Amino acid sequence: MANENNPDELPQATVERSKRFRISIVWIIPILAAVVAIGIGIQRIRNEGPKITIVFKGAAGIEAGKTFIKYKDVNIGLVSAVLLTDDFTKVLVTAQIDKHAAGLIVADAKFWVVQPQVSLSGVSGLGTLLSGQYIGFQAGTSHERARNFTALDAPPLITDQPGRVFKLNAASLGSVGVGAPIYYRSVNVGEVAAYQLAADGKSIQITVFVNAPYDKYVTSETRFWNASGIRVTSGANGVDIQTESLVSVLVGGLAFDVPAFRPAGEPAAANAEFALYQDQITAMTQPDKIERRFVLYFNESLRGLKVGAPVTLFGLTVGRVDEVGLAFDPKTSSFRPRVLVTFVPERVITRLSEEDRAATKTYMGMMATLAGRNRLLRSLVEEHGLRGRLETGSLLTGDLYVAFEYDPHAPKVKIDWNRDPLELPVASGGLASLEAKLDSILTKIDAMPLGAIGAEVKNAIASLDQTLKQTDALIARVDAEWVPEGTKTMQTLHQAIADADRSLLGKDAPAAQDLHDTLQELTRAARAVRVFVDYLDRHPEALIRGKKEDTP
Amino acid sequence: MSSRVMTAARAGFVSCETCHLLSRPANRLEPGFCPRCGEKLEIRRPASIETTWALVAAAAICYIPANVLPVLNTTTPAGSEGDTIMGGVVYLYTSGSWPLALMVLIASVMIPLGKLVSLAYLLISVQRGSIKSSRERTRLYRMVVFIGRWSMLDVFVDTFTVAMVQLQPLMSVAPGPGVVFFAAVVVLTMLAAESFDPRLIWDSTKTDELALG
Repeated sequence: MANENNPDELPQATVERSKRFRISIVWIIPILAAVVAIGIGIQRIRNEGPKITIVFKGAAGIEAGKTFIKYKDVNIGLVSAVLLTDDFTKVLVTAQIDKHAAGLIVADAKFWVVQPQVSLSGVSGLGTLLSGQYIGFQAGTSHERARNFTALDAPPLITDQPGRVFKLNAASLGSVGVGAPIYYRSVNVGEVAAYQLAADGKSIQITVFVNAPYDKYVTSETRFWNASGIRVTSGANGVDIQTESLVSVLVGGLAFDVPAFRPAGEPAAANAEFALYQDQITAMTQPDKIERRFVLYFNESLRGLKVGAPVTLFGLTVGRVDEVGLAFDPKTSSFRPRVLVTFVPERVITRLSEEDRAATKTYMGMMATLAGRNRLLRSLVEEHGLRGRLETGSLLTGDLYVAFEYDPHAPKVKIDWNRDPLELPVASGGLASLEAKLDSILTKIDAMPLGAIGAEVKNAIASLDQTLKQTDALIARVDAEWVPEGTKTMQTLHQAIADADRSLLGKDAPAAQDLHDTLQELTRAARAVRVFVDYLDRHPEALIRGKKEDTP
Repeated sequence: MSSRVMTAARAGFVSCETCHLLSRPANRLEPGFCPRCGEKLEIRRPASIETTWALVAAAAICYIPANVLPVLNTTTPAGSEGDTIMGGVVYLYTSGSWPLALMVLIASVMIPLGKLVSLAYLLISVQRGSIKSSRERTRLYRMVVFIGRWSMLDVFVDTFTVAMVQLQPLMSVAPGPGVVFFAAVVVLTMLAAESFDPRLIWDSTKTDELALG
């Protein structure tokens, strides 16, 4: 084959480009970049916690992208949007919670706005001055997840701190506010967390928080009292001023302690309720674990008997008057004054406890049960004649109090044990007996024949009048008949005296002349006597020898 | 064809990339070494388009986190706050410094993006064998190469700020993860521009590419 021998006709070998799909090593760079970018993206998405919404009343200081949600001062989220709710009444805050805190967002978690608070009792939330406000957070105990919340108006109780919350029932708040200090032996151990009116609006429930090392001093026997202000007592020892601290004077405060006469007691459980006394003295002297109410029906005026007036037993205060009013008695269809008193018999215990131990024990045994107390009451009332009376505490103000004392002459009564509260018998009080005496005096006065006496007096006055008239007539006659004569006589007498004056005492009267002469003679005689006496004085011998002749 | 221009490769020569001496290649597949400077001769950079594509893709991927992640973390007592590039632009604009905002926007957002788009356009046009406006495309390529080294402005500002603002108890600034991606975008686009062979712009046909290998 010619073709086969011609080398020029040999086919040209072709250079085939490799059809194998080769991947350049440079593609590692974009793959690496993609892996890193996707990795970061995935991490971001994984770190992205739940989105929650919180409803606030107002968005004071809350800014989208600026306001954090903090738990124990750690940022757990950031506000992403602040919008109004659909009805434009509230603020809907949307927040992005960090992944690590997602487990905290449970149904009973609490949110509130932390604002700086500067008060006399201290400064809180100072960090917000620099950082702006943030949303405070408190973890809940629920395990149920939630995404929609409503913010609290005020920070919740401090339950993150170790310590216990107690509830105090007070008649009024006084000057105690939230954050007011609580003192135990003048050491600040806690603060008032909140207060609210009781459901019936008749008392205040104050929630207090006592910090951990001190909460064990709050026992079942602890008494709380209002330590606000200054207490000044003046007595035989001078003036005594007591206050817990200057802060409590300014912002109010509470204090607690166990009365010295009580055992220390067991530490109180959290949320235990206590009564809040108005001051330390009341708290420390008013053990009222056993209170018993009795009703008294008096038969006299209750004017001056006030609610809170003391109830005394042999002069010692053992209770107080709780209610004063009128009760309708259907049997007689009339009213009768009704007084409700509260007995606090423990006061008697405390006063007895220092004394005879055996007697105290018996008494305590009796007081321990209602039956024992009733037995004691029966003995006192039915056998010893214990009676309640109204006594005047102050004559100046007319204040009354209820005094229980034995009245051995009182008629026997039986206590109706079915009533609640029990009715205790009464006796007429001091004022009432005074009234009775006055009444009897008045009755006697009333019984006198005042009419007859009046008539007699009238007769006597009439005759006296007649006598006086006669006397008057007599005087008129004397005036008419005797007085002219008397005038004449007087004139004659006057004349006689004038005559006598003239004849006896006139200058030229003979009697006067004679008198003058006589007096002159008498003067001469006196002179002679003086000469003679002088001579004798110088010549006493003349009495014996006679007058010596003057020798020339 | 007027647009079919004369190139060294088409004339059977090869240009040294270092000393630009035009010489005859020893072989089409193995051009050999430059007789003057000894540089390895290549008719066209090997796998130029593929490498450039890979780098452009990597830069495009990094461009997303560079803009999404914060480039600057400011820590104040209020807490830590991250700022993205666009966030900074918006902040500058709303606070009144619109020239600064414009500058940051151009330097940090538009130029990297523009580079990516330009490179992608060059690559696509070369792959499609386009013969149009080769001159403009070459100018565009030169611009991309030139501007590459100036794109680190944002990274530079970031480093500067971090070094300056260290008022430790009150305020401190730390670089965010975004700045790493931003730097990666800049570096990758620079590398992509380098790996692209502008001579390809003038080759313009698939037959040429096949012929040149």
